[in-house]
Amino acid sequence: MFHWLEKNPFFFAVGVFVVIAFAGLVEILPNFSEASRPVIGLKPYTVLELAGKEVYKKDNCIACHSQLIRPFKSETDRYGQVSLSGEYAYDRPFLWGSKRTGPDLHRVGNYRTTDWHENHMWNPQSVVPKSIMPAYKHMFTNIADIETAYAEAVTVKNAFNTPYGDEFQGTRAAWDAYRPKVIEEAKAIAADMKNQDVKDTVAKGEIPEIVALIAYLNRLK
Amino acid sequence: MNALMIKGIAFAVVLMLATIYVLASMNITLQMLIDDPIKGLTVIGAGVIIILSVVVSFKYINQMKTDTATGELADENWDGIGEYKNELPVGWAFSFLGTMIWAMWYWTVGYPVNSFSQIGQLNEEVLAYNSKFEEMHKNADAATLKEMGESIFLVQCAPCHGETGDGLSGKAQDFTAGRFSKEQVLDVIKNGSNQLGYQMGAMPGGMASGTDAEAIATWVAGGMKGEKPATFAVCESCHGPDGKGMNGMAANIAEYDNTLVHNVLEHGKKGSIGRMPSFKGRLTPVQEKALASYLSTMK
Repeated sequence: MFHWLEKNPFFFAVGVFVVIAFAGLVEILPNFSEASRPVIGLKPYTVLELAGKEVYKKDNCIACHSQLIRPFKSETDRYGQVSLSGEYAYDRPFLWGSKRTGPDLHRVGNYRTTDWHENHMWNPQSVVPKSIMPAYKHMFTNIADIETAYAEAVTVKNAFNTPYGDEFQGTRAAWDAYRPKVIEEAKAIAADMKNQDVKDTVAKGEIPEIVALIAYLNRLK
Repeated sequence: MNALMIKGIAFAVVLMLATIYVLASMNITLQMLIDDPIKGLTVIGAGVIIILSVVVSFKYINQMKTDTATGELADENWDGIGEYKNELPVGWAFSFLGTMIWAMWYWTVGYPVNSFSQIGQLNEEVLAYNSKFEEMHKNADAATLKEMGESIFLVQCAPCHGETGDGLSGKAQDFTAGRFSKEQVLDVIKNGSNQLGYQMGAMPGGMASGTDAEAIATWVAGGMKGEKPATFAVCESCHGPDGKGMNGMAANIAEYDNTLVHNVLEHGKKGSIGRMPSFKGRLTPVQEKALASYLSTMK
């Protein structure tokens, strides 16, 4: 029946490839898609957290910090529970990183607080004397781009069905109606901070990058 | 004895001499080999490998020179290349059957029932390690506990409380200056506290005020030395006359004890300084005890 295949090495090779590839798909894909579903209780990032994630990407935190806790006791002792695929379901892109010059941050929200991050970003050596992390003072004055973050939320809602509510629409009016909620969220963060300039900026309705970044870091848990 | 065998023996002798030369150049004497059985066995092993390799390879070279193929050819041949009808080697045949039986077991029982989970394995390992750890340090002495507490403190607590425990100029609780500062006592008296899950329950705010509160705060922050202010009676009903919390019924306001450390780690705390997150499940009971004993040596 397959005698002609034996006489045609090219088609034989193609046939072998198809068979092995199919076996691979059957073995890998079901588990993979199962594991990639959002874990129970996972919520999509809020607009403020998305803006903070943009700051995280922009200032290249990923160059020194990973977000992936591996299944070793030494890691779970220090950083907490092992990371699961489903926890990254709303990360577009995920920020696993591959270099740990600094510690892993996947559950940093469990054991660091707003005021700690504030002190640390202003001057890392004031809390960890031997730290080699540079200061990020510009985050206290740069304004976070929450409008783009909102647009990002609307985009992933439309493109990937990320469960954002009906108030997320791609119109100017929808954004104007939603903006006060973001400011409220930022005020709650700023209330725990000590820097008066940051508090004043938030009170004026603008959000410094540090507030968005802290919202994002507190969310990592 | 044919020429090939002589060559083989000569080759083996050359290899042996080379081995002896290497041993001699490393200053290894015969006595050392006898004294140290591992070294001796290694050298004997090297000799055996040389002899076996030479004997086996020359046997096959000889066979290739003299052997002729015999047997019954199979009917089919491929482009003129034929195959003898040979019996399956017994060992190979049984391995093949065994593999098939094992595959059926693995397909139906082995994989579905005993399916491997990386995280499950980690959890088992951690549980086993922790119970061993608890067992090992069940009756640890004070010095061990203090040392353990210090290393835990440096990893888990120092990022906020500072390496010396001084709270980094007011960024966190200062463990070196006694149990409380005066401002902290005043804050708790004013606002109350219901965070740590003590049996006594919530401490209401405003149980003392004005100069009474000042007097209590000064005395408590000063380490409870000197004359006790009369108004401290209102605190005594829960925290006890010595302020030690009546054996874990209420917070110990005199010093850091096991219960206090455990409760703060479990529930976290939001006070006048700021918020401390909960460290629930991150430390084992022995580690909490160790941390408490280290904290009590800091002041």
